[in-house]
Amino acid sequence: MSIDLLVQALLNGFGLAMVYVLVALGLTLIFSILEIINFAHGEFYMLGGYVTYYVFAVFGLNYFATLGFAILAVGLAGVVAERLIFRYLRGKTLNAFIVSLGLLWVMQASAQLSFGVLDKPVPSAFSGIVRAFGLVISVERLVVSLSAIVLIAALYLFLRWSRPGRAMRAMAQDADAAALQGVDIELVSALGFGIGCALAGGAGGLLAPVFAVSPAMGALPVVKAFIIIIIGGMGSLPGAVVGGLLLGSVEGLGSLFMGSAAVNVLGFLVVILVLLVRPRGLFGGA
Amino acid sequence: MEPSRGLSAPPGRALGAPIAGLALLAAGVVALPQLTRDSYYLDVATTILMNLALTMSLRLQVSTGQLNMAHISFMGIGAYASALLVTRVGISFWAALPIAAVVAALLAFPIGGLALRVTGPYYFLITFAFSEVVRLFFNNFFVDLFGGPLTFTTKLELYTLMAALLLVTAAVLVRLEHSRFGLVASAIRQGDLLAETLGVNVFRYKLTAYVVGSLVAGVAGAFFAHSHQVLHSSDFGLEPMVLLVVFTVIGGTGSVWGPVAGTVLMTIAGELLRELHHYESLVFGVVLILTMLWAPDGLVALPGKLARRRRVGVSLAP
Repeated sequence: MSIDLLVQALLNGFGLAMVYVLVALGLTLIFSILEIINFAHGEFYMLGGYVTYYVFAVFGLNYFATLGFAILAVGLAGVVAERLIFRYLRGKTLNAFIVSLGLLWVMQASAQLSFGVLDKPVPSAFSGIVRAFGLVISVERLVVSLSAIVLIAALYLFLRWSRPGRAMRAMAQDADAAALQGVDIELVSALGFGIGCALAGGAGGLLAPVFAVSPAMGALPVVKAFIIIIIGGMGSLPGAVVGGLLLGSVEGLGSLFMGSAAVNVLGFLVVILVLLVRPRGLFGGA
Repeated sequence: MEPSRGLSAPPGRALGAPIAGLALLAAGVVALPQLTRDSYYLDVATTILMNLALTMSLRLQVSTGQLNMAHISFMGIGAYASALLVTRVGISFWAALPIAAVVAALLAFPIGGLALRVTGPYYFLITFAFSEVVRLFFNNFFVDLFGGPLTFTTKLELYTLMAALLLVTAAVLVRLEHSRFGLVASAIRQGDLLAETLGVNVFRYKLTAYVVGSLVAGVAGAFFAHSHQVLHSSDFGLEPMVLLVVFTVIGGTGSVWGPVAGTVLMTIAGELLRELHHYESLVFGVVLILTMLWAPDGLVALPGKLARRRRVGVSLAP
């Protein structure tokens, strides 16, 4: 087997993995701030897909403007969900988990009722392929992966340097101590949940032209995101990136040897291997 | 005193209420076919009985403080084991039923042993990951598996079989709840560090609950394979698992009777709402969210809570 083929497989794996990292970062950010596992996270991704369908494919706005709009709209939906429901469940992981299952049903059923059960195709914003160093990648995949990387970098800069970002990290470390230092816990919770959902919405917008949009579209990326954060360690942002790269390379290389159904099992086998060695994931705390 | 051994009832604990509860359950189960022989009602009732075995055993695991998202997989393991034993090995359903249950219980040892090394959110996610591995395994190796020829042909016979299986299961689980095991489980749920420092082998209790629960799920799975005849991996996926969680949690996990109330009420509500199609899951979702916000301990905890509130109200009255 040539080296080119291996590198090509890795590249294919990484391309989509960067988008799943975006979904996983949202999930893990929400967990680190609110101690909530939001099982309905994939439904916010789905919402981002539908916003993209209506604004980009139907209304005809520019692709990147649509993406920004999807991120804002889904972020707002996340803030609403936090204010109406999840703020009462902060730190109550089991109850919040069950409520998020209920929210998953509500959002999926609402999507079926208002958008219909059938797949809606979103046209590609970019066509053509790029060839370099003997590798081939479609322009669309390239734009999707690069946009995901830009969003991940933006999240990093926000959390590292901005005032609300630092408040979020403080709250993730110790909510009571953060409150004593004057951090507005309610505001930071709402903002953190909203940003987490916005990341999922952005991912949904990015992948809407790659896959079709449907009410059940959130299931696959959320499963990938869970695999990524279990590997990386829950609540760890670097863990999510490393977990995503690991999953992407395993799936990319695996696709050389086996069918797509078997590749899906591969991700879970990596999870079990990691957990045998480090039950809390690679970057998980004590 | 050895807290980690023995299942004898602690002294001074009244067994009247649990026996009355079991008698009521048995009376209801026996009375139903006297009231109606309509195949639709018998079908729904049989499903309720099968789900009761699943939710009551899920609650046994939750009673040690852990929500196992892979419970449905052990039902699946029981179902596939029973189907393979009947169709490939050629033994009778009666022989396959206990073997399938034991297979599920044996697999619960390594899976539970691995998952129970972590707690809380890690535990949901790990058990969820296991359930997906098991489901994908079924999906890859047996696309649609035939459950074997029916030994029990009529709806009434299937109902009677499941009713017998459930009553035995319920008797065992209620007995367990009112034994030292139940007391220790509740101590673990309230704080496993404290229980551990008092000399309880917390891991062993959690693993016991996991294995016993999986054994019951295996029995339910064997029955499912026999009554449904065709097995598909999605029967053991996230969606039916979420339903089990909903039934159990809405009923309340503080008492053995919580899942019974939740399963019966929610199944009947589901049948009544069936005409509404997509609105059905919408209504279920809203009910689940509201229950968790307003009655996080479930329906069975409500009467006690209301009574307490009334008493407080009286004492505060001028």
